[in-house]
Amino acid sequence: MLTSAVLQAINGISLAALLFLLASGFTLSFGLMRVVNMAHGAYYLLGGYIGLTIAEKTGSFALALVGGGAAIIVVGYLIDRFLIRRTGENHLAQVLLTVGVAFVIGDVALAIWGGDNLMVPAPKFLKGAVILPGDVYYPRYRFVLIFLGVAVGVALWLLYKKTQLGAVVRAGVDDREQVNATGINVDRLFVMVSGLASFLAGMAGVAGGAFLTLYPGAEWEILVYALVVVIVGGLGSLEGAMIGALIVGLLDAYGRWLLPEFSYFVLFGPIALLMLFRPRGLFGREY
Amino acid sequence: MSNTALEVGALAKVFGGLAAVDGVSLKVAAGERRVLIGPNGAGKTTLFHCITGTLKPTSGQVTLFGRDVTRLAEYSRTALGMGRTFQITNVFPDLTLGENLALAIVGTDRRKWVLHRPMQAYADVRRQALESLERVGLAGRADQPAKLVSYGERRQLELALALNTRPKVLFLDEPCAGLSPAERQRISQMIGELPRDITLLMIEHDMDVALGLADRVTVLHQGRVILEGSPDEVRANAQVRDVYFGHA
Amino acid sequence: MDRGRAVLAAVALAAALALPSAAGPFWTGLVTQMYIFGLLALSVDLLLGHAGLFSLTHASFFAVSAYTVAILQVRYAVPTALAAPAGILAGTLLALLFGLAVRTRGVYFILITIAFGYVVWGVAHRWSSFTGGDNGVTNVPFPALGAAAITSHTQYYYLVLAAVIVCGLGYRVFMRSPFGLGLRGIKASESRMQSLGFRTSAHLYAAFVLSGALASFAGVLYVYYNKFVNPVAASFPVSVEAALMAIVGGTGTIIGPFLGAAVVLGLRNWVSSFFELHAAVMGAVFIATVLWAPQGLVGIAGRLRARFGKAKERTP
Repeated sequence: MLTSAVLQAINGISLAALLFLLASGFTLSFGLMRVVNMAHGAYYLLGGYIGLTIAEKTGSFALALVGGGAAIIVVGYLIDRFLIRRTGENHLAQVLLTVGVAFVIGDVALAIWGGDNLMVPAPKFLKGAVILPGDVYYPRYRFVLIFLGVAVGVALWLLYKKTQLGAVVRAGVDDREQVNATGINVDRLFVMVSGLASFLAGMAGVAGGAFLTLYPGAEWEILVYALVVVIVGGLGSLEGAMIGALIVGLLDAYGRWLLPEFSYFVLFGPIALLMLFRPRGLFGREY
Repeated sequence: MSNTALEVGALAKVFGGLAAVDGVSLKVAAGERRVLIGPNGAGKTTLFHCITGTLKPTSGQVTLFGRDVTRLAEYSRTALGMGRTFQITNVFPDLTLGENLALAIVGTDRRKWVLHRPMQAYADVRRQALESLERVGLAGRADQPAKLVSYGERRQLELALALNTRPKVLFLDEPCAGLSPAERQRISQMIGELPRDITLLMIEHDMDVALGLADRVTVLHQGRVILEGSPDEVRANAQVRDVYFGHA
Repeated sequence: MDRGRAVLAAVALAAALALPSAAGPFWTGLVTQMYIFGLLALSVDLLLGHAGLFSLTHASFFAVSAYTVAILQVRYAVPTALAAPAGILAGTLLALLFGLAVRTRGVYFILITIAFGYVVWGVAHRWSSFTGGDNGVTNVPFPALGAAAITSHTQYYYLVLAAVIVCGLGYRVFMRSPFGLGLRGIKASESRMQSLGFRTSAHLYAAFVLSGALASFAGVLYVYYNKFVNPVAASFPVSVEAALMAIVGGTGTIIGPFLGAAVVLGLRNWVSSFFELHAAVMGAVFIATVLWAPQGLVGIAGRLRARFGKAKERTP
C-alpha cells in the first residue's frame, strides 16, 4: 500500500513534468500576448508524430525531441502569423479559430499516421527499470521525464527572472505598454515567446508519446489537463503553471489509482473549490 | 433618525502599494449638495467607486442613513438608495433609449426576474421611461439605439439612468465631462432642478458649475481631504489655489 | 411582426410540414437532426448571444439528459412520461452545479467550461459499468405516452417540429422579457447593470441554468431520434460545434442557430460523401467563420438588405 502510494506519487510528478512543458507555453502566450491558443494540444500531438517518424528513421531519441519541437516552431509561426494575429484580442474568436486549427491538424495527422496507438521508441538506455529501495521496480523513463521537466522549469525560471529578455517579458505580462516604451522590437519578442511555446509543446509530444502513446483524440485529452493546470495556477503565471502541474499530476495519479472510473471527476474538485475561493487561480490576476 | 445621509469613515484604497484614497472621512447631510474637487489623480473617482461599491475599499467604512453598507455589494447599495453616473459614459449602446431606461426602472424591483412577459407589456415602465426622457431633454428618442445618439445626448441618458433607480443619494461623476459649453449649461441646469430631497455628491472639474451648484465643497488632494467648506471659503483658500487652480 | 415576415414564416412552416412526404426519409432524418442540434445551438446562444458568455460545456447537459432517458427506458423500462422529464431534470441539476462557472468571466469562463465538459465525457467513457463505456446505451425505443406512441421517423419528425416551434415561441417571449433584456444589458456593460441594482452574477447563473435546461431538452429529443447514446454525445466537438452553429447562423437571434445547424450538418453530410477529411473541413469552417463571417448568415443577410433593400427601421 505504502509502496503503491509512493509509486503513484512518482507517476503524478512525471505527468506533472509533462503537463508543465505544455502549460508553461500556453500560460506565457496568454500572459504576454493575450493569445488563447487551443491548438496547443494539436501541437503536442503533431510534434509527437513528427518526432516518432524521426526516431524511426534515425534511431535517435534526442533528435526526435529537438526535431519534433523545431517542426512545431514552424507550424506555430505560420498559424500565429497568418491566422491568430488577425483576431486581435477577441478571445472568443481566438478560441473558435484555434479549435478549428486543431481539428485540421488532428485530421491531417490521422490521415498520415493512422488511428492506432503509436509509441515513440525511447532509446535502450532510457528503457528498463530503476530499482527503488524495497525492491520496487519503476520505469526509468519516467525519472528521465521528471528530470527533463525540472530542467526546462529551471531554464525557464532563469530565463524569466534573471535575463534581460525575461525582465522584458515580465514587464509585458504586467503591463503591455511598458514593453512598447522600452523600445524593444515587440514583434520579434512575441515571435520568440510563441516560438518557445510551440517548441515546448512539440517536444512535450515526443516526450509524452514515449509513455502515454499517441492517438487521435490525445490532443484534446492533454490540452484539457494543461487547461486545468493553467486554471488552477492562474493564467499568465509561470509559478502557477509549476504548482498547478504538480497538483493536477498528483491528483490524476491518485485519482486513477483510487477511483479509476471517476478519475476525470477528480480534476473537477480543485477547479470547483478554486472557483468558490479564488476564481482567478492561485497566482492569477485580473485580465 | 439621523440627518446624515452619508458618512464615510477613514476610507482608504490601495492599488499595488499606492494609496489612491488615503483615509478620507466625509459627512454629508440629507438633502445637501456636495461637490468634490481636486486635481487629476486626487482619488475622486476611486473614492466614488468605493462608496458606491464598484470597488472594495482596503479599509474604512461607508454608512448610508445610519446603516453600515461597507460590506454590501453594489446592487444592494443601489436598492438602499445609492444611484450613480459614470465619468466615462456607461450606457447600453445596442439597446434603444427606451430599453436603457426600462432596465433602470425594473433594476430596483422584482420585475427584473420576469421572463414570461415582454417588457413592452408593462405600460407603466414605458410611461415612466418616456417621461424621464422628456425630463432630460430626449423626448421622442425612445426608439433610437443609444449608439446612434450624440455624445451629449448619451450624457443626458446617463443621468436619466441614475435617476430611475429612485436614488436617495445620487453620485454624479463629472456629468459635464467632454461637453460643449451649451450642453454643460443644460446638464447643470437639469442637476440644479433636481428635487431637494435627493442628496447629491458630485465630482466636477468646471469651477463655475461646481461652485454654482454646491452647498458645500470638499477638496481632495493626493487621496486626502485638504479642505471642506462653503464655496466662498474654498474660493478664498490659498492652499486650494495652489494645488488646484494652480494646475488649471 | 410585419407582413413580409408573416408570409415568410407561413411558407417556412408549410415547407416544414410538407417535407417528409415531399423529400423522403433521408432528408426527413437530416432535418430532424437539424432541429435537434439547432435547439442545442439555441441553448448555447442564450448565453453567448444574449449574455456574452461563451460556454463550451453544453454537450454535458445534452448527454447527461440523453443518458438518463436511455438508461431509464432501456434498463428499467420506465415510461416516457417519467423518463423524459427525468432527463431534463438530470441535465438541469448538472447545470445548477456547473453554473458555478459564472463566478468567472472571459477566458477563464471558456477554459473552465471546457474542463467541466471533459469531466462529463470522462465519466461517460470510464464508468462503463453504468454508462456502457464506449458502446453506450443502445436500443432506445421511440417515445410513447400511454396508448399514443410514436412508431416511425416521420411521426417523430413532426413531434420534434412541434417541440421546436413551442421552444422558438417561448424563446421569443424570453428574449423580450425584462430578464432577457437584462442579459443583454449585462453583455453590454456589467458595471452599469450592477449600479442599476442588478445582481448580475445571480442573473447570469439563472441564465446558465435555463440554458442548461434547454440543452437537456435537446438531449431528450436526440436520444429518442438516435436510438442510442455514447460518450461522443458528451464530447468537446459537440459543444464546440453547437457554438459554431450559433455563430455561423448569427448570434442573438432565434433563426440563426437553426440556420447554422442546417449549414454545419448539411456541409458535413455532403463533404463526408466524397472526402475523407471531413473533420478538417469542419475546422476550416471554424476558421473561415471567424475570419470572414463573424456576424453569421443573419449578419450577412442584414448587410445585404441594408445595401440593396430599403433599410427599414427595426421596431423594438
